[in-house]
Amino acid sequence: MSTHTTIKNAVPAYMRGAFAANGVGVDDLILAIHTDMTPEGDFADAYVGVDRNNLYILYGEERVVKTQGARRIVSEYETRELVTYPLKHLGVLSTQTLLSTCRLISDPEGKEEPEEEEKGKQASGKEKLVLLFSLGCQGFVDRLLKVIRNINKGEDPLKEIKEQEELFCLECGTRFPEPDRKLCPKCTDKMSIFVRLMGFFKFYKKKVATVSVTMLLVTALSILAPYVSTRLLIDEVLTPPIRHYESAATGGIVRDYDRVAGGDYIYVETLGGGWYEMVGLIVLAIMAMRFVTTAFNMLYQYVLGRTMPWMIYDLQMRIFEAMQRLSVSFYTSKRTGALMNRVSRDARNIYWFFVDGLPFIVINIAMFAGIFGMMFWMHWQLALICITIVPFAAGMFRLLRRIFRRIWHKQWTINSHMNNMVSDAVNGQRVIKAFAREGEESRRFTDMGNKHAAVDIAGANLAWTAFPMIYLFMFIGQVVVTALGGMMVIRGEISLGVLMAFLMYLGMLYGPLEFLSTVSNWWARCVDSAQRVFEVVDAKAEIEEPAQPVILESIRGEIVLDDVWFQYDPATPVLKGMNLTVPAGKTLGIVGKTGAGKSTMANLIARLYDTTEGTVKVDGVNVRDMSLSQLRASIGIVSQDIYLFMGSIVENIRYARPEATMEEVVWAAKMASAHDFIVALPDAYETRVGAGGQELSGGEKQRLSIARTIIQNPKILILDEATAAMDTETEGKIQTALNQLQSGRTTIAIAHRFSTLKDAENLAVIKDGVVVETGTHETLMRKKGEYHKLYSIQMEGLKVISME
Amino acid sequence: MEIIDTQLDLGILDVKDLRFYIADGGFLGLKHKDEDYRHIVLRRIMPMEYPMEYISVADHENKEIGILRDVAALPAEQCAMVEHELDNRYYSPQIIEVLSVRDKLGYVYMEMKLKNKQGRIYDKSCAIKDVNRNIRTLPNNSAVIFDVDGNRFIVPLISDLSKQSQKKLDAYLY
Repeated sequence: MSTHTTIKNAVPAYMRGAFAANGVGVDDLILAIHTDMTPEGDFADAYVGVDRNNLYILYGEERVVKTQGARRIVSEYETRELVTYPLKHLGVLSTQTLLSTCRLISDPEGKEEPEEEEKGKQASGKEKLVLLFSLGCQGFVDRLLKVIRNINKGEDPLKEIKEQEELFCLECGTRFPEPDRKLCPKCTDKMSIFVRLMGFFKFYKKKVATVSVTMLLVTALSILAPYVSTRLLIDEVLTPPIRHYESAATGGIVRDYDRVAGGDYIYVETLGGGWYEMVGLIVLAIMAMRFVTTAFNMLYQYVLGRTMPWMIYDLQMRIFEAMQRLSVSFYTSKRTGALMNRVSRDARNIYWFFVDGLPFIVINIAMFAGIFGMMFWMHWQLALICITIVPFAAGMFRLLRRIFRRIWHKQWTINSHMNNMVSDAVNGQRVIKAFAREGEESRRFTDMGNKHAAVDIAGANLAWTAFPMIYLFMFIGQVVVTALGGMMVIRGEISLGVLMAFLMYLGMLYGPLEFLSTVSNWWARCVDSAQRVFEVVDAKAEIEEPAQPVILESIRGEIVLDDVWFQYDPATPVLKGMNLTVPAGKTLGIVGKTGAGKSTMANLIARLYDTTEGTVKVDGVNVRDMSLSQLRASIGIVSQDIYLFMGSIVENIRYARPEATMEEVVWAAKMASAHDFIVALPDAYETRVGAGGQELSGGEKQRLSIARTIIQNPKILILDEATAAMDTETEGKIQTALNQLQSGRTTIAIAHRFSTLKDAENLAVIKDGVVVETGTHETLMRKKGEYHKLYSIQMEGLKVISME
Repeated sequence: MEIIDTQLDLGILDVKDLRFYIADGGFLGLKHKDEDYRHIVLRRIMPMEYPMEYISVADHENKEIGILRDVAALPAEQCAMVEHELDNRYYSPQIIEVLSVRDKLGYVYMEMKLKNKQGRIYDKSCAIKDVNRNIRTLPNNSAVIFDVDGNRFIVPLISDLSKQSQKKLDAYLY
């Protein structure tokens, strides 16, 4: 009995009914996928299923009856058409990527594994269009093709078929933006971002506790101060004690003790005047409170000032470290301006929020609660009237916050683009001047500046109109309380001191409300920034050190690429099943047109990217299993993209091995033909290069990068157009150095100029992501294939140049 | 300033020499002079500004046969075939309404109402990563949005969207 691999959701439950209703044996289906177009390019729900004999395509329309977020729970399917293709008639299936769509093409006479000479021209001319689908379905179709290939080979259909990635959040059904990062944006709320940000305080617990306690004390004293300076001052110090009497006859309360001496009045209580005429004492109390408040204020600001810079430093370090950890692909998807914004501006936004925002939020919220507590304690009926203002004001502020948040985001977007434009203008200054486009560049920047100003103006206009309206509303509330409170004082229901305290507290609400409205912007900006910061911090490095890395005793340098597929963008493969072997210590020259996949191959060997399919092996070990540090230390890359870091020449040469001696540095520089030009510089090896340093020519920079690689002493050397930026004389010099460098190392040399590769022990020609020819220069020339074609074109070109 | 060197053939195709047809297998084919290409590849040279002009016509190995100056110059039936092929290649449903935009953890989740070439209107939600890169404002007041799957959606004229839709999208445009 044969056993087969099983995977979850190979035939999703919601498709089973539709297939069954159309007479397809659901139990025989091995895999079913959902695509989204008809061959005519119309939108449709196309269910594609495969069993051992047939491919079924069911075109129709799905009506989702019940969902959980984006997850179908129950759906009904209205079939338009069922198309059945017997697998034996389909032949070889492949996908053709258009721009935002793909085609599934069948070639009944195509070969699954073409002979060497047929590579790159597999099509038989009998191809047939089977299915059209949007790019989003490419991954599903690839799985389907793998299953069909396995069936055709007579293997277990689900062999090497990965489990369907969990694409949806189990809580809410929202689709994960990245299947690798099981982080649901919907279920991760703003507060959790903030709580996480607060986690940065955990190293400063004592300081945070000191700040919190002093802040609360400041708040308590601030709330108590108006009570002392109004209610106590007026009712207890400035007003003589008032005795209340109750009339035995009427039961009414009388407070004028002069008029009720004797008669039938009974003494009830004495109100106010507790410290009558003790003005000095109350003034002293007011002053003492003020002094203590100021002292606490200074204390918490001092502690906070000493804590926050460290916290921001931690945050910036986390971002910077995360950026170092992330794979090259992360950087190709982010613009430099946006990344620099994350490190500097976003971290700074967070800093200001924590220094100038959060402490005052705590104070103002506590003050808000304290003021209303005092109000209710003094006279709850009047307090209830006052509190009616709050929901209206809160509603207005909430609305404002949403609008401001949009404005802040727009500002951020425009600001990032402006940063990119500045970066462009600085880096491309020579080109701008060469084409006399200064005016046009200024105009472009002005346009963006105008947009920026327009957003700023929109924000300012909103602030200037919305806030006075809120103040007006608050003022009306104060007038109402004055009127009602005044009547209560006249009726003897409250004392003058209580009314004055109420009015003072009401005035004190302005501050917190105004502040909370401002801080709502800060809060929005801080969370917005934190969100972007955490995007970097949380981003999963696509290239990770394996849990148990294989560490080889020594690396010999044998390289094997086995059926390697790779794509930078969805559904756009650059390498399409590349096979290649480079024996240890040998040199392989790689030729091919631009975009054929030569540099990509080098990137995969150094594991700057991981293959989409297939394996890259070094000394028989999959690079994914190898220790990343050992692998990278064993591979030296000299590419056409040269980057020198800010620092001296000696620091740049020692970059791969800081402990290298001065003798080794000079030796490496001489090997790379760099020594002569270095010593000619005024500061020789101490000349500062990189951003803001000494200008070097392309050839000089390249020689420094070669010296850097020589110092690294790698077992595998990848020369990716290493001499492309040099003139013939310099190239000649360096070529000699490179030839010496190559001895005893496995070398992959990628070059446009055939002259530099002619002597390579072996050559491989890459075309459209596959190796189409291999052999020595002589054998490939005799073969008169792709190599011969490319070589002849280049030689013809050179002849024309020499004739001119 | 005349800079086109007559020695270099720009390869503009003469419409009289062209006959597009649907070949066996469902591919677009072309008879050009004495050659018969049963599977051709069409590419827009200026996909945004001139979607139906300056079409690069290549054989199935991507070797350019020439440039079709204007699709409309073809006979109606062939014009429809070429338009259909281009629409399939550059499948970009049009956003007619933005229902919601939520910004969470660096991703923008957008729910929208789309219209495809056939006029069918349907709802779609998508996730957009790195909005600075994947929501592009174009000079002619239009916008293109790329989602995490590589699908593209277009707003032919931002000002044609409802005020509500514009407001939702505005924070990401520049």
